[in-house]
Amino acid sequence: MIFNYLKIAVRNLLKYKFISFNNLFGLTVGLACCLLILTYIIHELSYEKYHDKADRIYRVTRLFKNGETGVTSLHLNTVSPPFGPLLVNDFKEIEKLTRTLQNNTVPFRYEDKIFNELNSYWADSNFFHFFKVDVVKGNPSRALTDPYSVMLEESIARKYFGTADPVDKVIRMNNQFDFKVTGTYKAFPTNTHFHPELMLSFSTLRDTAIYGEERLRTNWGNNSFFTYAMLTPGYDAKKLEAQFPAFIDRHMPKGSHFKPSKTTELFLQRLTDIHLRSHLDSEAEQNGDIKRVYIFSAIALFILLIACINYMNLSTARSALRAREIGVRKVVGAERKSIILQFLTESVFVCWLAIILAFVTTWLVIPLLNQISGASLSIDVLLRWQVMVPLIIIPFIVGILSGLYPAIFMSSFQPIMVLKGLFRAGGGNISFRKVLVTAQFAISIILIVSTAVVFKQMRFMQNKELGFDREHIVTLPYTSALNDQYDAFRTALLQESALKDVGRSSRIPTGRLLDAMGSQMKNGDTLAPANVDIKYVAADHDFTSTYGIKMVAGRPFSRDFSLDTSAFLINESAASILGFKRPEDAVGKDFGYGNRRGKLIGVFHDFHFESLHQKIVPLVLLVPRSANNFGNISVKIAGSNLTGALAHIEKTWHKFLPEVPYQYTFMDDNFTRLYEAEQREKNIFTIFAFIAIFIACLGLLGLSAFTISQRVKEIGIRKVLGADVSTIVTLLSKDFMKLVIISAIIAFPVAWWAMNSWLQDFAYRISIPWWIFLLAGIVAALIALATISFQAVRAALANPVKSLRTE
Amino acid sequence: MIKITNLEKVYRTDEVETVALNKLTLEVKEGEFVAVMGPSGCGKSTLLNIVGLLDDPDSGSFMFNGIEVAKFNERKRADLRKRNIGFVFQSFNLIDELTVFENVELPLIYTGVKAADRKKRVEEVLDKMQIMHRRNHYPQQLSGGQQQRVAVARAVVNKPKLILADEPTGNLDSSNGNEVMQLLTDLNEQGTTIVMVTHSEHDARYSHRIIRMLDGQTVMENIMV
Repeated sequence: MIFNYLKIAVRNLLKYKFISFNNLFGLTVGLACCLLILTYIIHELSYEKYHDKADRIYRVTRLFKNGETGVTSLHLNTVSPPFGPLLVNDFKEIEKLTRTLQNNTVPFRYEDKIFNELNSYWADSNFFHFFKVDVVKGNPSRALTDPYSVMLEESIARKYFGTADPVDKVIRMNNQFDFKVTGTYKAFPTNTHFHPELMLSFSTLRDTAIYGEERLRTNWGNNSFFTYAMLTPGYDAKKLEAQFPAFIDRHMPKGSHFKPSKTTELFLQRLTDIHLRSHLDSEAEQNGDIKRVYIFSAIALFILLIACINYMNLSTARSALRAREIGVRKVVGAERKSIILQFLTESVFVCWLAIILAFVTTWLVIPLLNQISGASLSIDVLLRWQVMVPLIIIPFIVGILSGLYPAIFMSSFQPIMVLKGLFRAGGGNISFRKVLVTAQFAISIILIVSTAVVFKQMRFMQNKELGFDREHIVTLPYTSALNDQYDAFRTALLQESALKDVGRSSRIPTGRLLDAMGSQMKNGDTLAPANVDIKYVAADHDFTSTYGIKMVAGRPFSRDFSLDTSAFLINESAASILGFKRPEDAVGKDFGYGNRRGKLIGVFHDFHFESLHQKIVPLVLLVPRSANNFGNISVKIAGSNLTGALAHIEKTWHKFLPEVPYQYTFMDDNFTRLYEAEQREKNIFTIFAFIAIFIACLGLLGLSAFTISQRVKEIGIRKVLGADVSTIVTLLSKDFMKLVIISAIIAFPVAWWAMNSWLQDFAYRISIPWWIFLLAGIVAALIALATISFQAVRAALANPVKSLRTE
Repeated sequence: MIKITNLEKVYRTDEVETVALNKLTLEVKEGEFVAVMGPSGCGKSTLLNIVGLLDDPDSGSFMFNGIEVAKFNERKRADLRKRNIGFVFQSFNLIDELTVFENVELPLIYTGVKAADRKKRVEEVLDKMQIMHRRNHYPQQLSGGQQQRVAVARAVVNKPKLILADEPTGNLDSSNGNEVMQLLTDLNEQGTTIVMVTHSEHDARYSHRIIRMLDGQTVMENIMV
């Protein structure tokens, strides 16, 4: 029986090639989209799961808050070094603990090969027993025990040593410190939150030349140590967290006003939550976002739904053509049940074909998608039984879901009616299909609105006046090797006329503002702590002019004033939070920041130092006592001679710093990188919106073909009575336009709600303009009209005599 | 075999009621060949549908082989139909996507006959209808006469007790028409009961008895001798 069904299914597919192609194509595209999105989702959800005890590993995070108001000022995923050993000591529930510290970008050298290494980490000796790392050479238990040991990722080892055995070779860091290579390991997989390429033994940090044992034990202020705790099996992290306030008060030095636990808190963050749910202030790498997983799941479901609806519409549209077959089958003894079964077999079969094609499509498209989206997806994640089994079941579900309605509808045909050619699809069936088409168009309109909003927000961010000049600025890493010769270096740079200005700072715009100390304001005769949260950037005299930051009151730092090394510049937000009504009022006032006292000499315009995801925060600029505080050099170039300017910078760099590899970035590129995730989102939205609309159009094509075929006689009579083509096209299109309007009415509030939530992630965002909705409605209507007209014009042009005679 | 008493069937649309069968009473004995005639709209086809268990009456009694079937549900009707009744239509109603063999095989599939048996029986009947050489062709590749022979083959493959023919020669020229009528006559002589709706006096003469209908009732019977 089933064989008979399949046979006729195949022959039908071949006979009605256009409809079959539409049907199969729509489903294939829909399923391929779902598979692609599934690949992405599985990848996103797989982060860290490969570690053996991933469910017991937590990262310790530290929150800083205002002791008085309790308002959070900073939440870091790193803590200060004393916490680690104290935690293991105090809590037997912590089975083991490991720490890593991200190293600055420093040059490493082996013989004549020098490279700047961006991803080197200091790591505790138990690291390889804590996390699952594929060690290729060396003893994982001992490799990081001795000071001045380093483990290298295979590609890094090859970079320095070629094919030679790297073990026991020595590489030199920062032209100062020699590290012995103790082994190599395979690159960390993509689905983890950090990717160390060099791992330096943590014990090295005890050397005062590097960091110092004393500071490891007592420096509560350096919160840059990633600290991971593995709890004993079954122990609840919440119970441990509850004991942290007492722990903090037990160990941390008392503050002047508050217990330490009033101003800081510790939390345990699940290792497996880091990628999707952690958005703390200093992530090791850019994380994903669970929201994005939800958005894409919704899109996948939407597209699948559209494809299913499409299948239903096209199948029922074709039913008129198959009415006779159904009649015959019933007459020769088929029960309704077996007719339903036949059509379900057919739709499951078509879904099977579609999923096979979708698999092939996915496999072909993934590399392309990786290119567009910057992702690193692989179809391999689908080739596991946990995924394959559901995938094998999907055709049944989708097939039954989309085949059930056509099956029930068609099996209800009265055999004698259809065999005598008296068959007419009933009105009820058409209204159900109208509901389906309305749903399809509602989904399409939602996607059009979403795409438009994403586009508009992206444009807004790219064009927003940031308050500083980001164009033609090149940034270079600052190195302490420049400390003594910086002035000469700067002068040499400025000899080239294309270079306009050179400034140094601890952080550069597009980065985060995470450094803060306490502020003091004059109260009577003394400076008293001010209860405000102000971030700082260490900057030299030329920083503001390099970035074209405008002063609102007072003056910028100047070499003409020797006291400027203890002076402060603040932004408007800082002036206002410090209680100055007008920026001018701040100028000349005494101010304290950290342990430095001086005068506020100027107030600069609020500018967007951080990305537009962040609100502009109060900021103070100060000239640091030691040039070691600088991390970056920014060079302003005149737009005219970029190549020459870059060549000059490189030449000068090599002249002053022959031992330090030269590298630079454009501020513009940093800026683009800030919104990479949104840029990807935009690309993917656009693609999927387009696909959804396309599939919806296939469905509309089916429905309009069907409806028009039902009205052939009416059209014939109207034409005989004198109706012209445009009247008939209008007549036929009018009904569908009504559907588009209804779908718009349904779609608008949903789209508004969805996109409004999406925009909440941006501190600076557009308000969704009304015309976007109008535009989406018009676009949908035009697409629908074009689709329908194709059929309507053909019907209107047909010779009426022909259609009337067939009656 | 068929005993119909006071059968009524009314078709209703929103505003109009059409009485298709009006207290119709009729009996067909086993082995009979009955022709039903009458103008368009007199209820012939409705009668055929009800007798063929494709439709149910509004009221009245319909005994088939001594069983009251008027109130049977669809499943029971389908079951009775596939074992006892074969249909021949004016427009042949073969399934275009199936070959001659597969078309004839279809009723056997629905009655659950095993594949090997099916092959034997289909070949037998195709042989008898002299279209064995066309077994792998599709309906569109056959002439009208051949198509109707396939349709008859399909109607008889399950060895039904009753064949219902709805203007079986309506789409055929006279020589093909005569051939089909001869086939039906042969089947009747072998014991199959036949009820045929027709407009053709010529075809009706093949039958034992002509029932003439008007406005949903029988108005005259001619016994052919």
